[in-house]
Amino acid sequence: MSLELENVSQEMLSEAESEKPLGLRAQALRRLRRDPVSVSAFVVLVFLVLAACFGGPLAAHLTGHPPDQQYPDALSAGGQPIGIMSRTYLANGLAHNPHGSLFIFGADSLGRDLLVRVLYGARISLLVATGATALALLLGVSLGLLAGYLGGWVDAAVNRMTETAMAFPNLLLAVGIAVVVGPGLLNVVIIIACFTWYYPARIVRSSTAAAKEMTFVAAAHTMGARPRRILLVHLLPQVWGPLLVYATSIIANNIIFEASLSYLGVGVPPPTPSWGQMLSDAVTSGMYQVDLSLALVPGLALVLTMLSFNLLGDGLHDALDPGATRR
Amino acid sequence: MRRRILNRLGGAVIQVLIVTLFAWLLFYVIARFTGASPAQRIAGKTATTAQIAQVAKLLGLDKPYWQQYLIFLGHLARGNFGFSYVQMRSVSSILWPALRVTASLVFGAAALWMLVAAPIGALGAMRPRSFGDVAGRAVSVVGMSIPVFWLAPMVSYFLAFQPTQGRLLGIPLPGRVTLFPIDGYVDLGTSPGQWAYHLVLPWVTLAIGFAAVYIRYIRTMTSEQLSEDYTRTAKAKGASTTRVLLRHVGRNLLPTVTVLLGADVAYALTGVFFVETVFNLPGIGFTGVSAIENLDYPVITAVVIVSALVAVLSNTIVDLLHVVLDPRLRRLPAK
Repeated sequence: MSLELENVSQEMLSEAESEKPLGLRAQALRRLRRDPVSVSAFVVLVFLVLAACFGGPLAAHLTGHPPDQQYPDALSAGGQPIGIMSRTYLANGLAHNPHGSLFIFGADSLGRDLLVRVLYGARISLLVATGATALALLLGVSLGLLAGYLGGWVDAAVNRMTETAMAFPNLLLAVGIAVVVGPGLLNVVIIIACFTWYYPARIVRSSTAAAKEMTFVAAAHTMGARPRRILLVHLLPQVWGPLLVYATSIIANNIIFEASLSYLGVGVPPPTPSWGQMLSDAVTSGMYQVDLSLALVPGLALVLTMLSFNLLGDGLHDALDPGATRR
Repeated sequence: MRRRILNRLGGAVIQVLIVTLFAWLLFYVIARFTGASPAQRIAGKTATTAQIAQVAKLLGLDKPYWQQYLIFLGHLARGNFGFSYVQMRSVSSILWPALRVTASLVFGAAALWMLVAAPIGALGAMRPRSFGDVAGRAVSVVGMSIPVFWLAPMVSYFLAFQPTQGRLLGIPLPGRVTLFPIDGYVDLGTSPGQWAYHLVLPWVTLAIGFAAVYIRYIRTMTSEQLSEDYTRTAKAKGASTTRVLLRHVGRNLLPTVTVLLGADVAYALTGVFFVETVFNLPGIGFTGVSAIENLDYPVITAVVIVSALVAVLSNTIVDLLHVVLDPRLRRLPAK
């Protein structure tokens, strides 16, 4: 009898192993891997992260141009930038120097290497965006979990806060704060986080409020789990999916947010290269009409990054929720 | 219905109080600790402590904070935004003409993005996965990825600047022509034709990003409505596709789209900062950017407050319109 039972359970086990249904996460990952658009967006983003980590120093080493070094030779006689794939000028300021060092994307109006600066700019963009997103997620997820789980006045207060915050154009208020507290890397991260935490908070709140009613939460409660355990072990994993989709779009938005602040001169202070700053230098001086690459290089970097994040976000959304129509 | 309207108006008043409190705390209280204190700025860098204290007293900065806030609110209520020492003019005399320009820009752009997005989104929903749908979605995701502060100089360069150099999108033209004005603004009252001619490129620039988002909104909402029973009934009764889309689906989407538009018209006020500086339109954004450059605090304060008030106003108006447009809200009691 016991032998038989053992056999049965063995059989069931092996059956379960052979036809083990994939977990939700594995299924989503498989769908994502089959979507060529998401895969290419992901590859671009991996390259971007690599460029941000190693690209700047590597390019600076290979070209011999530090990011903030100004090369007077890299400007033509009229003080104009030299343009893409040009070598520096000769001392007499008239002709290109065949032995001069190569500026692959040209130089900006101060004679700094555009390629090196755009690579260092990727670093600032990603650093600020991921930092601000992490901070916003930390704030938003904690408040959302608490509001969804506790309900009552906490929920009402958090809801009121997010509603009020969302009613205003956040960039304007952020500019106001940045003007008063002054520019700086950390300031920018904190300011951006202050104006983005409410999106994750709303998502987490609604998912938590829905998940709270499920029987497994009641079961955990009956077995003596404390609220902290229920929140972190049982409810938090329920919100990962929608949160992941939102995180990609928040990072993308935060990259634009940082670039906008830097463009308006209240973001990361010069001479630290950032994409928004480079664009604003090119546009406000009108120098982009002389040499379009000054605006094209940082601009296309921004567009490509945004596009990859947006496409990956769409892919994630479809992979996690295959039945839903795309928003 | 009346209770719902009163509730909404009460909410708007609370939002106005929150915004003004925020702006006052930021520019009058916090600014004092970061070296941007109003008294210090007016008295100048070389002023003695006594002089600064005197200016502070003149400005009422020695009074208790709650009194200062009430005085600030009183000034705002009378449309007094203070005096710009950089431009040597009262802030309100700078602001009102600028608001006219910005209103022309934002409302024109809103009309444009709706005109573009509604047909593309609706067609995408009618024929999902068709060539038009896929193309529309691709255009939409690209449009969403282009920041307006890059789009503005690109549009200005390729459509306004390059033709004056004898090229269009890089292709040589027979001669140097002026397709669009590079910058400047002509008032609607002076010449409506010139007004529109000067605003075409700014409208397009501001509208592209929003059109991209609205294509998605409208596509999703239309496809939801198309799977409802009432559209099937309408089709079964022999209504044409146009009629189903316009009279049935369109009528049902109208309230929601109105509410979205209200929020986005306010949101467009940030895009205005970049569009107006590139095209040299003397609006709120242009004023704001030059104020940031010159550290003209009274103007910065006013621009932030006015934009936030416009946001409250436009959200309130569309919520009230929502009640008018959606008969269900009229009958159900407010919760």
